[in-house]
Amino acid sequence: MTDSTHTTLATPRPAADRAAAVRDFLTAQSTLLLGVLAVLAIIFTILEPKFLSVPTASNILTDWGSVVLIAVGQTFVIISGGIDLSVGAVIGLSGVVAAWTMANVLDLEQTVKGPDAWFGLFIGTLVSVGVGLLVGLINAFLINILKIVPFIATLSTMGAALGLSVVISEGAPIGSANDFALISAISPQSNPLSPALILVILVVTVLGLYLHKSKFGLYTYAIGSNAFAARAAGINVARHLTWVYALSGALAGLAGMYVYIRLGAGSPSSGTGRELDAIAAVVIGGVSLMGGVGRMLGVIIGALILFTVQSGLIMIGVEPDWKKVVVAVLIAAAVAAQVLQKKDGR
Amino acid sequence: MGAEVIYEVRDASKSYGSVKALSGASLKLHAGEVIGLVGDNGAGKSTLVKVLSGAHQPSEGTILLDGEERTWGSPREALEAGIETLYQDSGLAPHLTVSQNLFLGREQMMPGILGKLGFLARKRMEVQGHDDLERVGIAVPASNRPVSALSGGQRQAVAIGRAVSWARKVIILDEPTNHLGARQAGEVLNVIRAAKAKGLGVIFISHTLPHVLEVTDRIVVLRLGRIVRDAPTSQFTPDSLIAAITGSADAEPGPTSAE
Ligand SMILES: Nc1ncnc2c1ncn2[C@@H]1O[C@H](COP(=O)(O)OP(=O)(O)O)[C@@H](O)[C@H]1O
Ligand SMILES: [Mg+2]
Repeated sequence: MTDSTHTTLATPRPAADRAAAVRDFLTAQSTLLLGVLAVLAIIFTILEPKFLSVPTASNILTDWGSVVLIAVGQTFVIISGGIDLSVGAVIGLSGVVAAWTMANVLDLEQTVKGPDAWFGLFIGTLVSVGVGLLVGLINAFLINILKIVPFIATLSTMGAALGLSVVISEGAPIGSANDFALISAISPQSNPLSPALILVILVVTVLGLYLHKSKFGLYTYAIGSNAFAARAAGINVARHLTWVYALSGALAGLAGMYVYIRLGAGSPSSGTGRELDAIAAVVIGGVSLMGGVGRMLGVIIGALILFTVQSGLIMIGVEPDWKKVVVAVLIAAAVAAQVLQKKDGR
Repeated sequence: MGAEVIYEVRDASKSYGSVKALSGASLKLHAGEVIGLVGDNGAGKSTLVKVLSGAHQPSEGTILLDGEERTWGSPREALEAGIETLYQDSGLAPHLTVSQNLFLGREQMMPGILGKLGFLARKRMEVQGHDDLERVGIAVPASNRPVSALSGGQRQAVAIGRAVSWARKVIILDEPTNHLGARQAGEVLNVIRAAKAKGLGVIFISHTLPHVLEVTDRIVVLRLGRIVRDAPTSQFTPDSLIAAITGSADAEPGPTSAE
């Protein structure tokens, strides 16, 4: 009865489909970003030949490890249409609480060695992730129940977390479980393919697959794309967002432990400003701040670009104090590029 | 009609603060019947739709599905009972693909452990989504395209296709032909006929009166939150329908006319 005029177009043939897929890949954000990364590496190497070296790569990867975790959480949050400003402060707070627990609850001395140190770090990781999770749940409560917009809700928890970490640590780094043989074996600082970094890569890969292949990931996109349509389709939006902010918080807690292992101490200021790094990685990676758009691979490369630029500039002699300015410029440039791209019709 | 009543609302009222958007509305929908719901802007059409679809609880009144009294705590409950709604402005998630939108909220999972872990059977849904749309008479471009790449008419076709392919009992379409060209609107009417042929009850809201007169079996006229006319479509002419909507036929909002 209805085979007369169809709304449109037939399905494209498989061959054309494949050609389109190849074209899509070549123009895909991540390919473009890899190109940018390569060009940056070449430019810095020309300006400073020592740039192309294992220590530089190791430094970049180490920084990348701490920020990519919160950038991955931020990716879920921003794709869902929100933002999480608390993650940097949570790195500091979770590291401090973990160190405090190791020092005062487990009574570990600074010089603790062997299995006791491993046990301490294991408990520290649980505590650290737990602290992050708790902050994430508080964020979700403020957003879902008190209906505070995510920007303000997470700005408040950011302030509270910063303050609390100073109160608990009395303003100074807390050290514990400091078997330096152990720390340096797992620390990315001394070993580019350290267990800590491998764990980060594992977590990032699993969550990337989860974002793109699972129902949880799909609902995250759906809510960021059109929350009303998501609700009408029967999705429990508030419950989903609770999980999203909990995930972001837990990842910030894990990043807190990563930073603890790097420093060998829990420092209240260790995550300050990291939320900006994460947001920069996310927008450089092509995730739209409006929600609904973005790929995890882009964010992972975006974080690499961010730290390549930072360490490259330092190596060619730019004062480290300019770092935050550079991050801010990169955020603005990435968002401007997204707007232009949209005008181009993509 | 001889068919049984599948969906019914009795004396439903709904207020938004001091605004009485709906007062004492009653409606019976039979299987395989298309009801046209018409009225001026602000007459209460969308409010009645929201009551029927579970988006709002009526302040008063009862809802019966297959003769059983029901209350909907959420749209999800109505959906699960077989009532599909195409809201006026909800639309689709533009960044998701056609098939992701078609299956949103009712995804198919991969077999085995991966499915348990939450992984989706994407390919299967793309193929089946395409077939589902064809079955209800809608041909759309590749179902792995994002909805934002579709024209307004195509989007609407996907939204309606979604509702029709999922509906088991009732389908409610709130102004589905808005913003559509004549040809695309014609296709929407075809989809409504297909839904009717499937034995679904259809509630069709539209301001385009020729469409309403063309495709419905019965027309219900709302004015200022009240049902002022409920009669077989054959009893209306374009002029008498306009008169019923604007209230120029009977000076006062009169009682519901008997069949
Ligand atoms: N969410 C709401 N809050 C307050 N008033 C509303 C709301 N939705 C609808 N109304 C009011 O209820 C009345 C009926 O609206 P509606 O059902 O949308 O009419 P229609 O769909 O027929 O145009 C109007 O006066 C409208 O302004
Ligand atoms: Mg309306």
